Amino acid sequence: MGYHNHTTTNSGFAVLWCPDFRLQAVARGERNHETPLILVDDSKRQSVVLCGNDRAYQWEVEASMSTVQALARCPGLQVRRPSAAAEETAARLLLEAALSWVPGMEETEPGLLTLDLASQPSEEWEQNGYRVQRQLADLGFSTVIGMGQTPSLARIAAVAARESGEILWHLDPDRRLEFLDRLPLTIAETGAELNERLHLWGVKTLGSFARLSHQAVAARLGEEGVELWLRLTGRLQRPLRQAQLEHLFEERYEFDYELNDKEPLFFLINRLIERLSNRVSRTGRAAAAVVLVLTFTDGSCYAKRLALPEPTLEHEVLFRIISGHIEQIEMKTAVESLLLRYEPADRVSSQRLLFGAGLRNIHQFQETLKRLRKLVGSDFVGSPRFCDTHRPGTCELVPLPHDIPAIEDDENTLTGPPTTGPIFRKYPTAATAAVRLRDGYPIMVESSRINGVVIEHYGPWKCEGDWWHQGKIWNRTEWDIELLNQGLFRLIDTGRRWIIEGYYD
Amino acid sequence: MAEIGEHKIAALAELRNQLGNQITSGSDLLRVQETRETRVATGLQGLNEQLGGGLPRGQLTEIISPGYSKGGGLVMAELMARARRERQYAVLFDVGRGFTPESFPESDLETLLWVGCESAKQAVEALDIASRDENFQLFLLDLRDCEPSDWSAVRSGQWYRILGQLRPREAVTVIFSRKAVTSAAKHRLSVENTLSIDSLDSERAGLLEQSRFTPMTFPVSTSHDSRKSRSALSIAG
Repeated sequence: MGYHNHTTTNSGFAVLWCPDFRLQAVARGERNHETPLILVDDSKRQSVVLCGNDRAYQWEVEASMSTVQALARCPGLQVRRPSAAAEETAARLLLEAALSWVPGMEETEPGLLTLDLASQPSEEWEQNGYRVQRQLADLGFSTVIGMGQTPSLARIAAVAARESGEILWHLDPDRRLEFLDRLPLTIAETGAELNERLHLWGVKTLGSFARLSHQAVAARLGEEGVELWLRLTGRLQRPLRQAQLEHLFEERYEFDYELNDKEPLFFLINRLIERLSNRVSRTGRAAAAVVLVLTFTDGSCYAKRLALPEPTLEHEVLFRIISGHIEQIEMKTAVESLLLRYEPADRVSSQRLLFGAGLRNIHQFQETLKRLRKLVGSDFVGSPRFCDTHRPGTCELVPLPHDIPAIEDDENTLTGPPTTGPIFRKYPTAATAAVRLRDGYPIMVESSRINGVVIEHYGPWKCEGDWWHQGKIWNRTEWDIELLNQGLFRLIDTGRRWIIEGYYD
Repeated sequence: MAEIGEHKIAALAELRNQLGNQITSGSDLLRVQETRETRVATGLQGLNEQLGGGLPRGQLTEIISPGYSKGGGLVMAELMARARRERQYAVLFDVGRGFTPESFPESDLETLLWVGCESAKQAVEALDIASRDENFQLFLLDLRDCEPSDWSAVRSGQWYRILGQLRPREAVTVIFSRKAVTSAAKHRLSVENTLSIDSLDSERAGLLEQSRFTPMTFPVSTSHDSRKSRSALSIAG
């Protein structure tokens, strides 16, 4: 049928990566970057190094080496131990910073977020990336950002940025191969065996690997090779596993003493509202609902979700709603802890379909596509488009757009050419025909599908092309024929035989 | 055992007396559902008239073209164009993969997801998958190049499962074929158009106006029926 897949350049992804995340989580408050630091694991019999900062690596300190050995190698080496609480806080800060950029993201690994940039104009990607990095630098994080057409390419770009000592890399789709030519195979985080084999073949960069043909890679390198090839050519799309943000904007307070009065509770709520509102406002959102949880010394618990009539961050409004509700609660025993959580309004998803139309559930759509491709084959699923050629039957498949623009058109008119004639449909397999001619015109057709007398015809329409491409030249003569009591068909003279290509319906 | 059975029947009768009018039979529920059914008006007046206002949401509708050049393709093109104007996504399950995009205005293809299938069975399986997706409002199943034996491989239960998935989302499904396909279809209409060689130069809107739609009521030979008849034959033999 002449279809081939085509990847859109409108969508994009970014990987926001905080390298050596566990170390940064505990040491981000320490402003002296000249101090060599390592994170160690003391849970085993012999203490070992988990990771270190650049300063420590300069002294040839390596991960997995014993702490004693590291201390011997590097004078003035400072040792830190992992902290689950610090990592939780750091992960929350990363998510909040990313939320100020885009609404949809995936927590791919601890310290590594994959962001869907589809909601943003591409010319603002880099500018916003630098802004988020500055925001995180103020909080003591050192991050790198990679951008690309797919989550895999964005990750490769992030690793490349880290390796080259830059803070942001954009793998521009138009210059993808040029960028990949600069990157060694190790950047793609593939197995040592595959790297070794490619090295022996003389394939040293990702660009040279991406230039190999799909069939050649599949025949020689199997599944791992094909997966890498698909990643590098931008054909490996996957839906993001959306990060669970329900509990992100949450503040909790455990009382050291028994609290029986409501006044101190209001004082604390006032502070928590201020803190939460600041955090939510930095992401450009507002609270759509507030969850209040009180636990009491007798073990009982009171929880209430207070839906707000419209998303807001107005301090007075929020305080009035929460305090008004607490006034109605009868406190039989002392309060032990207080939890306040904001449910932020997702302005992008809630306004997506307000003035326009498009995919309601992108995640579900990606799942459906995946299943359809598995059933019928990836070459037979997509949105068909014409190709810039006169060769009949040549078109390409592109992904469905996520938004549907309105058509500025009279409702009763068809939307663009062709607006004449019935619809042509090809037979699954073209039928060879015996054609009787008179004065060069077909008068009778016999084939396995249809037989009959030609009562009218249009043609001949001669067309040819690709004579400038060796081995790809094509030429044919088309006739549109009407067969008595049968219908309208397209008859083709290929020069060697006649075929019935299809019918008009 | 008999005592227990009688006891249960008596208890049920008592319950029915107590609940009275609160009990609703399945057929009553079906009638209520039919009165609630909404329809999507097409740009084809003849089709709208025969269907009581338009294509029913959450149901299957069959459009039968009994021969070549009867105008089934034109109807499909109009439904695709309507979906685009309404800013809705449509899915075309194309058995035989004979779809030719050059016959359609490019803008009408913008919201179309084409799924090329090699058999009717595969197309129905694909419909089964896609009909669960809330993003799509129109499904077009093109079985015009299938032999009836192709769709006998489809289990009749699968059609009803698809119906169950279409109803809550109120998605419209239209099957194009040469003969009746499934008894699960709510409506079955034949389309007749007199397309001649001059039609190739005629305005498409004018050709669509010539289309005549006639309701069809003949019984459908489903896979289930054919199994029954086969077993009946073997018993007779």
